[in-house]
Amino acid sequence: MEKRWTSLFGMLWLVVGLPAQLLAQDCNLSLRGQVLNADTGLPMPYAGVVIKETQQGVQSDEHGHYQIERICPGEYTIVCSHLGCDHAEQKLTLQRNAVLDIAMKENAVTLENLVVTGSSNKKAGTQTSSELSGVELDAGRGMGLGESLKRLSGVSTLNTGATISKPVIQGLHSNRILIFNNGVRLEGQQWGNEHAPEVDPFTAERITVVKGAASVRYGADALGGIILLEPKPVRQTPGIGGEAHLQGYSNGRGGVASGMLEGKLAKLPLSGRIQGTLKRAGNLQTPNYYLNNTGVSESNFSWSGKFQPEHWVVETFYSRFFTQLGILRDSHIGNLTDLNNAIERGRPLQDGAFSYDLGRPLQKAMHETFRVKLAHALSETDKLSLQLSRQFNRRQEYDAHRRFNPLPETLDDPNIEFEITTWAAELNWDHRLGRNWRGALGSNAQKQINTVDRGALIPNFDNFDWGVYWTERRFKQGSPWEYEFGLRYDLRHLHVAEQGTNNLDEDRNFQNWSASLGVIYALNEDWKLRFNTGSAWRSPLVNELYSSGVHHGSASYEQGNPDLKAERGFNNSLTLEGSRNNHWTMALTSYYNLIDNFIYLQPRSEAQLTIRGAFPAFDYNQADARIMGIDWTGDFTLHKTLHLESKASLLSGWNRELEDYLIYMPPLRFEQGLKWGFNEKKQPDHPSFVRISALWVLQQKQAPVTDYAPPPAGFVRLDAELFHTLMWGKQRLEVGISVFNLLNTEYREYLNRFRYFTVEPGRNLSLRLKVPFNFT
Amino acid sequence: MKINALKLPLLAMLVLSLLGCEKDDDNGPDNEQELITTIALKFTGGGQTVTFTAVDKDGDGGSAPVIQNINLKANTNYTLSISFLDESKSPSEDITTEVKAESNDHLVCYAATGTMVSPIASDKDAGGKTLGLESAFKTGAAGAGTLKITLKHEADKSSANACGTGETDAEATFNVSVQ
Repeated sequence: MEKRWTSLFGMLWLVVGLPAQLLAQDCNLSLRGQVLNADTGLPMPYAGVVIKETQQGVQSDEHGHYQIERICPGEYTIVCSHLGCDHAEQKLTLQRNAVLDIAMKENAVTLENLVVTGSSNKKAGTQTSSELSGVELDAGRGMGLGESLKRLSGVSTLNTGATISKPVIQGLHSNRILIFNNGVRLEGQQWGNEHAPEVDPFTAERITVVKGAASVRYGADALGGIILLEPKPVRQTPGIGGEAHLQGYSNGRGGVASGMLEGKLAKLPLSGRIQGTLKRAGNLQTPNYYLNNTGVSESNFSWSGKFQPEHWVVETFYSRFFTQLGILRDSHIGNLTDLNNAIERGRPLQDGAFSYDLGRPLQKAMHETFRVKLAHALSETDKLSLQLSRQFNRRQEYDAHRRFNPLPETLDDPNIEFEITTWAAELNWDHRLGRNWRGALGSNAQKQINTVDRGALIPNFDNFDWGVYWTERRFKQGSPWEYEFGLRYDLRHLHVAEQGTNNLDEDRNFQNWSASLGVIYALNEDWKLRFNTGSAWRSPLVNELYSSGVHHGSASYEQGNPDLKAERGFNNSLTLEGSRNNHWTMALTSYYNLIDNFIYLQPRSEAQLTIRGAFPAFDYNQADARIMGIDWTGDFTLHKTLHLESKASLLSGWNRELEDYLIYMPPLRFEQGLKWGFNEKKQPDHPSFVRISALWVLQQKQAPVTDYAPPPAGFVRLDAELFHTLMWGKQRLEVGISVFNLLNTEYREYLNRFRYFTVEPGRNLSLRLKVPFNFT
Repeated sequence: MKINALKLPLLAMLVLSLLGCEKDDDNGPDNEQELITTIALKFTGGGQTVTFTAVDKDGDGGSAPVIQNINLKANTNYTLSISFLDESKSPSEDITTEVKAESNDHLVCYAATGTMVSPIASDKDAGGKTLGLESAFKTGAAGAGTLKITLKHEADKSSANACGTGETDAEATFNVSVQ
């Protein structure tokens, strides 16, 4: 393990540390971009892109991306060709690296030959989605996935302290959201509120959030939405390139180093990439005190390879994620009395001090993914793909108190350990029917084995899932209407074995269907309406069925209910989207979701008495619920390069049976920012900007009274950001400076489970540097 | 040349990663739980030794702890010795030895109600501060009340309200009758 890291960083150092003159060759410009269908906006894979004057050429990849390297400065004609399309020609003066997206018109005669790939079908289609990429992604990803996604409207986080952050989409989180890392559905111990997703956002070039039930294409359970992490498409021109990231944070005195190195062979259609991230931070600081034991250490590594002979693609991907998280000592409490003492104090017992030491309580989580994907182009329009994957996740939790009477060799053993292994296979056929219909038909299967060592919080189990799906999308040139429908059927078999020393030996079966219908109607050139309706379901999880015990750190006793039925959601959403050139863009989404048999924790009237004293007790229960809300996002040009950026999300969660509010629903958030762009002429691809933004969060008034403490007061927080692109010789450097919580405001977030024990961290100044590099 | 430079590290990574594939590291799950199931109070005084227990063998949940009633003689000086056991396994484990070994991190707190005065700790931890496994307990006139015993982990012993800090490892409230 150690060796692997040493060699990786040795190589990165070699590359980053090479003298600048190596980079400063004359003919070292690159041109990259994406080939798109002019009518549908969908990417055009396998299109030929050629510089007429030099005859340098490449083929766009399956996402339509292309990159031509080693171009000398000059004036060129770029010719793009694709079977079934008219040739596109574009004149271009190249002085520096440039990005050129090429829109291609379908040729009316051979319209049948348009190629549609799986990747484009995998995109949200008619569903409302938002995307994080480029500078916006770079700025947040050092803080982890949850914190990165907070930049999108309608997405918030459920936190356990500042280091554990889970994305919440339109009020739903954990197992009601599916996360796909490079096409593989992330499988871990996501049932726990304090189990953060085990992914390195540095592996992704783009993160897409699909809001609302998206089960049909992605699998049952996705009642809340989908998060897709997509890596940068592999290199298409021979040579070696990559990028290096360095980030530093003042709060926690943290540092992140991440590097990526990729290459493509000249003689074989083979390309590959290695990537790694190291992260280290110490105790965080609130405006008035340090939070002891809130450091984090993370080391992630991934590699991928792609072999593309004619009509075939073979892709492999491996990633390993390992994190160690300190948990605020004061949050680990023994019983109800301790909890009340802590809430009364409202802050840690001691002022704390800075340290990088990670002590108990501690979490260690390791996640490993390996996948192989085979794709074969059956014809110009049809593609068959098979994906096989294996994932392994180990989660170790160390309580404040070591195990009693340990043997010397078990002294440092965790108090509880979960291990889950997942094997999955997916077969997909992308096709086109007739003139205007394109779709996907496929099936997937998954097998999972989970063991729990020490502790009887959840039983050991294994399960088997199988699903089959069919989606079709109709798009007709010249018509303002676009339709999409999908159907899916899933079954799950769950076998539970030992829970502690008690062998349950029970089998459970769940099976049901999901369906969706989406319509897009273009009102005119500027305005578009999207309507989506669908129904999805989620089978109860093993913790909801069998949980029994005191949940670490939350001082609550949780009792599962083996009689729970599956949840059934009915989602409806309507989005109005508008944009006019560079003047403004906006999207307003309203949604109305009914979830029957919504599973939640119902507090018991009497505390559970144990030998450690009394604990508040909760039963997993289900009732019909309703979640509705509005997400808003807009960008308006006020004057030249001065923009007003506006985001808001409002939602309401209601238990229709108890006639009470649902707990842990995000309060109203409203964010306004002013962004001033500069240097746009010099760096049209990476324009510089300064931004200052204010976040208003209101107190959550719609909360049930069963909480330990009432929701915290609302707050206003100011953040600032500067981004600038510099040229160092011919080397581009992207520099960012951000200040989070500019005024060092003291506040608490309702959706942070540690709000009982501490306020949120204070001001955080961060510096970041991104160096893309390229050798040919 | 450049091709080789690229190929070698890629091949090395591939091999290392495949070799590095993690597996479930046990032959079978270890379902042993670590807990205190029993608080035992030994009162010595008035020419006799009596022991009372609070026991919850099935751990959190399931059946509630069984707590015996304490019967003591009036106007008697007792020494109270407290022990903590894990009786969920056989043979049972005495966790008191660990409490003593990590005496700086532990504190036994008492709270009495009714006609009694709380016990007074008579032992010290390795740092010379109160520990509370041993204490002196003087009963007064006949009457009834309760005695709450709490084992605290990492309490702030220098705090004025030390028993209001730290994490509770074990706690039981006994009914006491003094005759």
